[in-house]
Amino acid sequence: MKELVELVAKAIVDHPDQVEVTEDDAGDHILLRLKVAEEDMGRIIGKQGRIANALRTLLRVAAARRGVRAVLEIG
Amino acid sequence: MNEGVEASGRTLEEAIEKALAQLGLDRDQVHIEVLSAGRPGLFGIGGEEARVRVTPLATITSSPFQEPAPQPVSQAPFAPAGADIEEEEEEEGRVVVKGTESPEVSRASEYLRDILACLGLAAEVSVRAPETPGDGLGRASAVLDIRGEDLGILIGRRGSTLAALQYLLNVMINRQFQSRVVVTVDVEGYKRRREEALKGLAQRLAQKVKQTGRPVTLEPMPAAERRIVHLALVNDPDVVTSSIGNGEDRKVMISPRRRSRGPGRRP
Repeated sequence: MKELVELVAKAIVDHPDQVEVTEDDAGDHILLRLKVAEEDMGRIIGKQGRIANALRTLLRVAAARRGVRAVLEIG
Repeated sequence: MNEGVEASGRTLEEAIEKALAQLGLDRDQVHIEVLSAGRPGLFGIGGEEARVRVTPLATITSSPFQEPAPQPVSQAPFAPAGADIEEEEEEEGRVVVKGTESPEVSRASEYLRDILACLGLAAEVSVRAPETPGDGLGRASAVLDIRGEDLGILIGRRGSTLAALQYLLNVMINRQFQSRVVVTVDVEGYKRRREEALKGLAQRLAQKVKQTGRPVTLEPMPAAERRIVHLALVNDPDVVTSSIGNGEDRKVMISPRRRSRGPGRRP
């Protein structure tokens, strides 16, 4: 799941070298934290959160395949 | 002679209501031309008002404007054939159509294969040229067909997961190439089946409109699906299509096209 977030984020931002993703087991779900350069925040979130939401939708597929729930935090 | 009125409003509905009030007519007595679909602003600022021109149908039937062709016919195949179709294109901005061998398309299929691998799905991706309006013919540079086992999870409810996948993939390639190239993603022919279903629905509803003489409004649909409905009926001399509502609520309306009632009235 971490790989998915990394792949998409690195393609979208201006500073792929500053993309950082961590994946932690938070008990009832897996918590993914995505960090990007400050000026890339808007790019990764998109107008009205459209990019972040699309990424979360895909993440649901990846999580369902593993039988877990995933939460994506950006920032 | 009454030439119709222009009105604007926060939403298309509001603009139409205002114009109808000014004319003192009902919706089925007028032709509605969408001049601008408008855009909602962020926190009520920076948006664009919706604008319409509403013309009484009696004016249209006696005007030489629609003769001899009932609707301006576009030269390019599947290029925007009417104001409403052009307006659907607006939502995604002007796009550039490239070949299936272009670097953008190659990159898109690489990204798609990588995404599928990340998702843990064993699937094949094949690239082909768009063939139908549902494939995005005239807009999309390529169709990326995904085939494999148990891919229903990739389609999602009403194609919502597939829409998210296609959207992300397009954002990814356009950020890389600073271009406006669009690729269509399909899973196991889902979009092709949906296109056939929408075309059938459009024809059936157009028949109903012709029989009853009353407009019919379809369920809200994404832009690509509305475009299929518009294009399915663009050459039908008896009906016109338009889009009403905003954002997630936007839907196609099929209305009777009023023409001169008898041969003697043609100019």
